[in-house]
Amino acid sequence: MIVKILDIVIAGLLLGGLYALIAMGLSLQYGVARVLNISHGEFIMLGALATWFLFRFGVNPLVSLTICGPVTFIIGYLLYRTLFTRLRTSSASIGAYEGSSMLASFGLLFIIQNIALIAWGSEIKSYTYLAFPVNIGGALFGANRLVALAFAVFIGLVFYLFLVCTRLGKAIRAAAQDAATAGLMGVNINQVLALCFGFGALMAGFAGLLISICYPIQATMGLEYTIITIIVVVLGGLGSIPGSFIGGFILGLVGSIVTSLEPGLSLVAYYVIFMLLLLIRPTGILGK
Amino acid sequence: MKHLKFQVCIILSILVILLSLTACTKEKKKDKIVVGMSRPLSGWMAQIGDSAFRPIYETFVSEVNAQGGIFVKEYNKKLPIELKIYDDKSDPGTMTRLTEKLILEDKVDFLWPACGTSFLFAQAPIANKYNYILLTAEGGATTIRDMLPSLPYLFISLSFSDWYQIPVLADLFAQKGVKSAYIITMADLFGIEYNGVSGIELPNKGINIIGVKSVPPDIKDLSTILKDAQATKADALLVLAYPDVVFLATKQCMELGYNPKAFLGGPGVNFGPYHMTFGPATEGVLGFTTANRKTSPEAKVLFDKLYTGKPEAINDWWGHILYWAGLEFWKQAIEKAGTLDQKKIRDIMATETFNTILGPTSFKGGLMAKESHPGEIGQWQKGIFEVVGGGKWPATKVTAPFVYPKPAWPKPAPAKPAPAKK
Repeated sequence: MIVKILDIVIAGLLLGGLYALIAMGLSLQYGVARVLNISHGEFIMLGALATWFLFRFGVNPLVSLTICGPVTFIIGYLLYRTLFTRLRTSSASIGAYEGSSMLASFGLLFIIQNIALIAWGSEIKSYTYLAFPVNIGGALFGANRLVALAFAVFIGLVFYLFLVCTRLGKAIRAAAQDAATAGLMGVNINQVLALCFGFGALMAGFAGLLISICYPIQATMGLEYTIITIIVVVLGGLGSIPGSFIGGFILGLVGSIVTSLEPGLSLVAYYVIFMLLLLIRPTGILGK
Repeated sequence: MKHLKFQVCIILSILVILLSLTACTKEKKKDKIVVGMSRPLSGWMAQIGDSAFRPIYETFVSEVNAQGGIFVKEYNKKLPIELKIYDDKSDPGTMTRLTEKLILEDKVDFLWPACGTSFLFAQAPIANKYNYILLTAEGGATTIRDMLPSLPYLFISLSFSDWYQIPVLADLFAQKGVKSAYIITMADLFGIEYNGVSGIELPNKGINIIGVKSVPPDIKDLSTILKDAQATKADALLVLAYPDVVFLATKQCMELGYNPKAFLGGPGVNFGPYHMTFGPATEGVLGFTTANRKTSPEAKVLFDKLYTGKPEAINDWWGHILYWAGLEFWKQAIEKAGTLDQKKIRDIMATETFNTILGPTSFKGGLMAKESHPGEIGQWQKGIFEVVGGGKWPATKVTAPFVYPKPAWPKPAPAKPAPAKK
């Protein structure tokens, strides 16, 4: 019985760790840069497929962290500096900007996905890395998933420390509170918002890499992760990065518990949580 | 009165002349056979469509057109095939609209199929409503078969659960003394059907089904279910699902060190990407098949033509030879009919036997006769997807004995992919 519970809890944490990392990225993009990035899942897909592609040439997936993350960061940064900055400066209000940026991200979703389909094809891809069991208290877990969880937590903590302990992190938090006032206080708001969007894409790229270690991947995988991420972000609280981090683990645990009872209801459970949150506590766990 | 009669005669004569001219003009203008398709060029089904029917129809059309086309006696010449393909984005609703567009607006001469069982389920009544022959490729189901008497224009080429895969699987298991099975099935039409047939055929051969779990198509983690299966100590694990779940199950079985004596995966195991991904770990894995290069010299020629010099990703050891046989059959039916009239061709397809890549081939009640199948169950052995099980009829060609129990998963490989095999 204890082994079974351990099984379910650790499996939930393993999945939750990935959700947490993905959600931190979207929370940063929406909470600070005010872009509900529907193409967030496509950055995850890019990170995953890039890792798979590099693995074919013998590059260790963990080494690919130093490649995939920066590449997705640069793509996200440039996209914000070109597309979203233009939308922000030309929109009449913040609400209009959020609407138009969301629509623009819809377009990005299809563009990125179809570029990936042309580049890598539509078939499922996977590779075996650290595919051996590790015994934890009598329950077996794949070593690759434990490594993915460790890196997800490590990256999340490092980023949180960055936000709390560095000058740039302070600027990002200021922009999250009130972008206009932060600008008046000397923060280069265009640069900070673009960096936030880039960091969000960076998180997505890292998450995609870790996902590729654990699961099969394909060019059309992005949207389902985007939907789960939105649920996690709402669960944790819009704009709250710690909330998103915690929310990811909660959703992972819920998914694991429900899967152990009835696998067909795992997605249903996510959507039920989403609807209940919107009705009862729309600000989420740590949202304002 | 006389004057009126004269005017009527003149008008009628002009009409007759015009109609004759139109008929002649129509005949001269028919210079191709237009075949329409609504296919998943994007979306989640694209991976199946691109691997399964696409290489077949592209090669078939190219080959037929290189020979000038299909001879149609009505026009006294060969007519090349022109394809008109729309992207249904892997959405059944879009597919049905596009199918109607192809029939009603584009007025294509023939319809080739959409991809996937649930898509065919939606498309078949539309084709039948407008009296268009629908020769299917990917997909097939007992539920569609039950509808065949009311769908005379539907012809199913792919083998499926009880036509005749699971009965053969049950026989194979019984011969080797398999006593128990655990089934992971997908929560859709495919999974429901295969699970249902397994629930009948396996117990009939004395194999006890000690666990069944239904999973959604986009499940992210099978580990708790696989651990449950492992705990039951079932002799066989059947993953009756689509490629993404089959790949996930294989990967997580290796990670958990769970090595059932028999591991069968649904669609996915038979595709090249499975071997490309798992390499030596595929040894002993069972799946659905029809033939390989060893089945016959004709099969070798076909597979060499389709696969040699191309990525292993396009290999499909289950459906390709059946789709090819279906298209050969369709072509011969048109040639015999001498016309592009759907009803006449349909009547020929329903009653005649033609020689195809499989040998003598016919459709019984709308299904490609199972007696035409060279094989049903395959097993990866040393990089080849061998045919290890087939029905008890002359066309069956088993290319290797069934290996049971399955070898253990290999030790974790170094960070390099397996070399592609032909």
